[in-house]
Amino acid sequence: MYFRHLPLIVSASFALLPVGAEPLQFNRDIRPILSENCFACHGFDAKKRKAKLRLDLGEEAVKTNEFGDAAIVPGKPDESLIWIHITSDDPEEVMPPPKSLKKLDSAQKETLRRWIEEGAPYQRHWAFEPPEKTPGAGIDPFIVAALQSKGPALSPEADRPTLIRRVSMALTGLPPTLAEIDAFLADPADGAYERMVDRFLASPHFGEEMARHWLDVARYGDTHGMHLDNERQTWAFRDWVVSAFNRNLPYDQFTIDQLAGDLLPNPSQDQLVATGFNRCNVTTGEGGSINAELLYRYAVDRASTTAQAWLGLTAGCAVCHDHKYDPITTKDFYSLYAFFNSNADPAMDGNALLTKPVTKVKAPGYDAKMQAFTERESAIQERMTAEAATLVYQDPADLDPLPAAREIEQVWFEDAFPAGAQVAASGHPVTFVEEPVASGSKSLKRSGAGMAQDYYQAGAQPLTVPVAPKFFVHIYLDPLDPPEEVMIQFHTDQWKHRALWGDDIIEFGAKGTTERFVAGQLPKPGEWARFEIEGSSMGLTAGMKVVGFAFTVHGGTAYFDKMGVIGRTDPAADPALSFTAWRQAQAGKDTPGAPNDLKAWLKEGPAKERRPEEVQRLRDYFVQQVCSATREHFAALHTELATVQKERADSDAAVPSTFIFNDLPQPRPSFVMIRGQYDTPGEPVVPATPAVLPPLKQAGERANRLDLARWLVAPENPLTARVAVNRFWQQMFGIGLVKSSHDFGTQGSLPSHPELLDWLAVSFREGGWDVKQLVRLMVTSRAFRQQSSAPSESWANDPENRMLSRGPRFRLDAEQIRDQALFVSGLINLDFGGKGVNPYQPPNIWEPLAFGGSNTRYYKQDTGADLYRRTLYTFLKRTAPHPLMENFDMPSRESSCIRRDRTNTPLQALQLMNDVQHFEAARVFAARIMGADPSPAGRVRFAYRSVLSRPPSDEETAIVLEFFDAQLAKYKAAPAEAKKAVTFGESPPPAGLDEPELAAWALVANLILNLDEAIVRN
Amino acid sequence: MNPFLEHQLLQTRRQFFGDTGLRLGGIALASILASQERSRAASSTVHPALPGLPHFAGKAKSVIYLHMNGGPSQLDTWDYKPGLVDQFDKDLPKDFLGPRITTMTSGQGKFPVAPSKFQFAQHGECGRWVSSLLPHTAKIVDDIAVVKTVHTNAINHDPACTFVMTGSEVPGKPSMGSWISYGLGAETSDLPAFVAMVPNFPSGSNAQALFSRMWGPGFLPGKHSGVVLRGGADPVLYLENPPGIDHRDRRAMLDALGKLNTRSFEKFGDPDIQTRISQYEMAFRMQSSVPELTDLDQESQSTKDLYGPNVDKPGSFARSALLARRLVERGVRMVQIMHRGWDSHGNLPNELGNQCLDTDQACAALVTDLKQRGLLDETLVVWGGEFGRTVYSQGKLTRETYGRDHHPRNFCMWMAGGGIKGGVELGETDEYSYNPVADPVHINEINATILHCLGIDHETFTLRYQGLDQRLTGVEPMKVIKKILA
Repeated sequence: MYFRHLPLIVSASFALLPVGAEPLQFNRDIRPILSENCFACHGFDAKKRKAKLRLDLGEEAVKTNEFGDAAIVPGKPDESLIWIHITSDDPEEVMPPPKSLKKLDSAQKETLRRWIEEGAPYQRHWAFEPPEKTPGAGIDPFIVAALQSKGPALSPEADRPTLIRRVSMALTGLPPTLAEIDAFLADPADGAYERMVDRFLASPHFGEEMARHWLDVARYGDTHGMHLDNERQTWAFRDWVVSAFNRNLPYDQFTIDQLAGDLLPNPSQDQLVATGFNRCNVTTGEGGSINAELLYRYAVDRASTTAQAWLGLTAGCAVCHDHKYDPITTKDFYSLYAFFNSNADPAMDGNALLTKPVTKVKAPGYDAKMQAFTERESAIQERMTAEAATLVYQDPADLDPLPAAREIEQVWFEDAFPAGAQVAASGHPVTFVEEPVASGSKSLKRSGAGMAQDYYQAGAQPLTVPVAPKFFVHIYLDPLDPPEEVMIQFHTDQWKHRALWGDDIIEFGAKGTTERFVAGQLPKPGEWARFEIEGSSMGLTAGMKVVGFAFTVHGGTAYFDKMGVIGRTDPAADPALSFTAWRQAQAGKDTPGAPNDLKAWLKEGPAKERRPEEVQRLRDYFVQQVCSATREHFAALHTELATVQKERADSDAAVPSTFIFNDLPQPRPSFVMIRGQYDTPGEPVVPATPAVLPPLKQAGERANRLDLARWLVAPENPLTARVAVNRFWQQMFGIGLVKSSHDFGTQGSLPSHPELLDWLAVSFREGGWDVKQLVRLMVTSRAFRQQSSAPSESWANDPENRMLSRGPRFRLDAEQIRDQALFVSGLINLDFGGKGVNPYQPPNIWEPLAFGGSNTRYYKQDTGADLYRRTLYTFLKRTAPHPLMENFDMPSRESSCIRRDRTNTPLQALQLMNDVQHFEAARVFAARIMGADPSPAGRVRFAYRSVLSRPPSDEETAIVLEFFDAQLAKYKAAPAEAKKAVTFGESPPPAGLDEPELAAWALVANLILNLDEAIVRN
Repeated sequence: MNPFLEHQLLQTRRQFFGDTGLRLGGIALASILASQERSRAASSTVHPALPGLPHFAGKAKSVIYLHMNGGPSQLDTWDYKPGLVDQFDKDLPKDFLGPRITTMTSGQGKFPVAPSKFQFAQHGECGRWVSSLLPHTAKIVDDIAVVKTVHTNAINHDPACTFVMTGSEVPGKPSMGSWISYGLGAETSDLPAFVAMVPNFPSGSNAQALFSRMWGPGFLPGKHSGVVLRGGADPVLYLENPPGIDHRDRRAMLDALGKLNTRSFEKFGDPDIQTRISQYEMAFRMQSSVPELTDLDQESQSTKDLYGPNVDKPGSFARSALLARRLVERGVRMVQIMHRGWDSHGNLPNELGNQCLDTDQACAALVTDLKQRGLLDETLVVWGGEFGRTVYSQGKLTRETYGRDHHPRNFCMWMAGGGIKGGVELGETDEYSYNPVADPVHINEINATILHCLGIDHETFTLRYQGLDQRLTGVEPMKVIKKILA
């Protein structure tokens, strides 16, 4: 039981309660004084402890020393050493000592005296005690009871336009549409408000609005965050967060999936994507870095972020020393760190888009699509088999007597490169055409302004040069674009066999050698020519293995067709003609391009006994892919197959991947790192949770992240639910019940409504961690529905509105401000998810900062609809954030952020008035305004309702129209100026509107979007 | 007083005399006006100081921080080691090498000593040794204090830059300028308290990245972020009105906005609305004050000549230096210029030569110019990088060319002006410029000294965040460098 009847106090006065009436309470009245002034030397940190005295524990504080004195003698301040020391005039004696620069004022001293007099009762820190649920229903009784003890009551309920805008902004980050407003205003029945709330809760934009708050916590960004700050592809995690809120994933599962989705049995793709949470920390690939230091930093960040996000504990202090104020030792910290210290991701991120481990993010239908490719491939295979059945292949090695050596033609290139060849091109991609053709059904087209070529040098089986070889090739020069030179090249152990026709300007090989044999003049353009070249001219002699060839042009376009070699060969011994010879040649070798089972069989050689169907498969493969006498019958099918295979590969490559978290197979040993130095390990530690909190239940011998995640959401954990409901409260009301939403430790602020916080925490947990239900509870409370206007005393007495005597009123966040302008203008593109986009950004935000080799050095602004996506999807470069984010207090996402500031600066004013994004929205909005109503007053009304949900007062209309009239007069007199104004930005102005009038309305729209009321949530 | 406020004042008076009592709007306006009056009387209410600050009367009112990003070589500028000539290409003795060597050179089989190829000479009455790369700075050595033994923890750029500018290697802490803005505010109502500049640098140099966290507010309120003053036509982002909108249109809009926002204030009572009204007015004033600031036609030819020929090039270091003087003249508290390209892993003599050529004259000019105007006594000028460079060569070593790796154990910085004693030198390094042998100075001691010159006690200038009394100079004890104080 702790501070059950805490009166509601305005923040500043927590430690300065008037001495009087009710008994003092340790947590509320005493701990803040001791923590601020005494605990640094007389607290938890054993290393820094002076005089062996602890004041943070009651049983220690009352112990007597060797002289029989005690720091605290309950009931007797005058006998208590602390009273004697704090009231001493002697600089040697007085506490806190002058050199600590801390000082107790007289009220604090008096509070301590009274507390000792009352018996010096201690309480454990409130947040480490389990929350207790005071019986009661709903939020309001707690608020009302607290207000009653102080005087003011709840303010009246706000009017409906204010309410719907407040709810819409809080739940979707967008203003309501006029239709939504009208529907709400027109609903007289009971429950109209709740129905309105439920509509917004069901909106898919709910997830987007909720997600951006969590993404601050998760420190999500689209770049690595350090040094090169290259792009990182992990946006699937961002989209997962959006979807998790939209699906209303229970918060316990939300926790487990992110911290340990990979450790769940048979994790779904979604659960793996969720583990991206722990890959969002900044990483580096900076040359010269020391791996051990980086790995250490990453684990520290992950442990600190987890403690911060779920436990509201600032565990980071314990990196170097025992926490001075909270009972978190360095050993506690490094035990937590040990959960994350076996990360499989590397120290150096390689500046890569995807730093492993990653997973493919398969869209629904991915498997079906891949299956379709498989089916198309099988169909082609079947046609090949059918084709093979029509051919009678006789292995010359089986003939008796063996055939004599003879001159035969081997075709190396016909409608396709050899099977398996890894074909590459310089210039345009590899292109086969059906016209002109010399042979078969296709020819290869190659063109280039300079040197350009198609070639391969790996992937296919070697081709054997026969005895007395004579090569042939068919070439056709484009009459409209004849090249200066054409060339064929062959690769044996190197590219050193060439024949060329024409000007000899391609700088390959030494002139006058077989590396650069000039075979003659170019043929006449527009006709096919067959060329024959003696192998010896190119240095190609019998028995050589050709592993690649190339077709090359310079300065024009040529077509290549049927290429091969004529030579004497012994058919029975030639692996390109004899199945037996081929099997013998491949024994013990790898056969690139062959299916894996065939590869294995070939490697085992012909000596190994094979079943007949296996031999048949080998034989089919030989006939279709290898045999120079038969493979040309299959060339077209090969090309078809290659096309499908390429389509499959391209389609697969287009599927994005995302960062996930995995552990190494063997855990890395973890140690307490002395003074936070990565290279000074101390005591070894194993994964464990802080000793001050309830014990961890572990499934295996060594605790893992799954145990940790389950421990976080276990009913006995006193912090997780409190921290979560407080953060959602902060989102809805602008400030948490615990103001220091990032710190629930003893140095954090006390809850303004402790019983309410606990009631919410327990209800949340008992209700199945239902986030939508929790949010609904908050926004349907009477406290949320109050009007935010209040007399000046209310603002003066409680500037942060912690008493909730008025409705929440605070500035919109960066994303909401931009999204609102886009939304009311109609420009907004409400697509969901995907890679981050690059909206308008002034030049030289990235460029002057970025490292030369960074792939985010140059900002490439998007065009069209991508300029108008919701701000959640703006590409987030962490070392140079978009100015909107910087100006409006969005964190850079380099470290976890639980609460944003809300500043009010001239740079914000400049941006909202002058940024093309905002001015374009204003002028496009102006066109909508003009279309909404013929009368100027009606137009002002439409504009006000669109942005503020409420109509303007007559006085406001008059002020706006006076401004409008003056601007209209100006622009009528200066239509060229009007034209400039209404064409600022990429979107074209609507046709048929009078430009001076549109410009004047654009300024009106700019005015209304800059109203204080437009920038805040009332 | 601007027309809007004048109008409002009239309104307020009418209300005051006409009505039986003051209406809320009247109170608000009265308080705005009162604060306007105060701002004229004392320092600005646009950028107020924290109560109780400065802690004591500091000598300096403002700081100009010249950050040479990448790590200038101390061996080729200030730390003269004539003895190294005899050590050419000999291995640095093994017992000098510590464990923290970057992996760019830790795998080198040899650590050959590369003596500086530049001539050093003594300058000024103090007889300071200065390399021939810094002929202009050599002329002001009697005004500056050189610290030769600054050390840092970090061995790589990103953490080292973050360290030097935020007092911590780990991202997330406020920058020094943000701390100073937070503590002292500024004495201008028309310009930001903290201005950062990122000038051009020689194209052939090896440049490292900068990070907005180097002038970012960390966990301090966002308004303390450094405002980047840019080289081109739009020196402050979004300063220019959209096309077709002129100054009078904007004024008219702000008049209407002021009236409407005043109605909102009357309705809601939220004092933040008053702040917003005044911030919009400040934005309007900046639309004239910033162009006025960047208009160098007001400067005499002799002043421009002092800074050198590049002063007329937008985005040059020289121009930035001159703008820095104009900024502090107008009451801006902190100006931070970050010049890139000092990361000379190879071809150092050539690259470093270009870097010095680009900055030396303007650095010296800045000090001289401030002095001539009587501003040097109240302006603290700081020069330095994020670490130094190794005595051993990275890559190829000849008499003519060599490279140097990162060296965190000792490097040189200089300070001049408000609170600093001129003509002094602090710290000694060993014969290889590899370790300090006397007066080592941690980078956070430089930072503590900067705060001291401004009248701030760095130990008590704290903000509670994440359970810790955070301060610029970190949790380890740090001392102000008394030996260089005036």
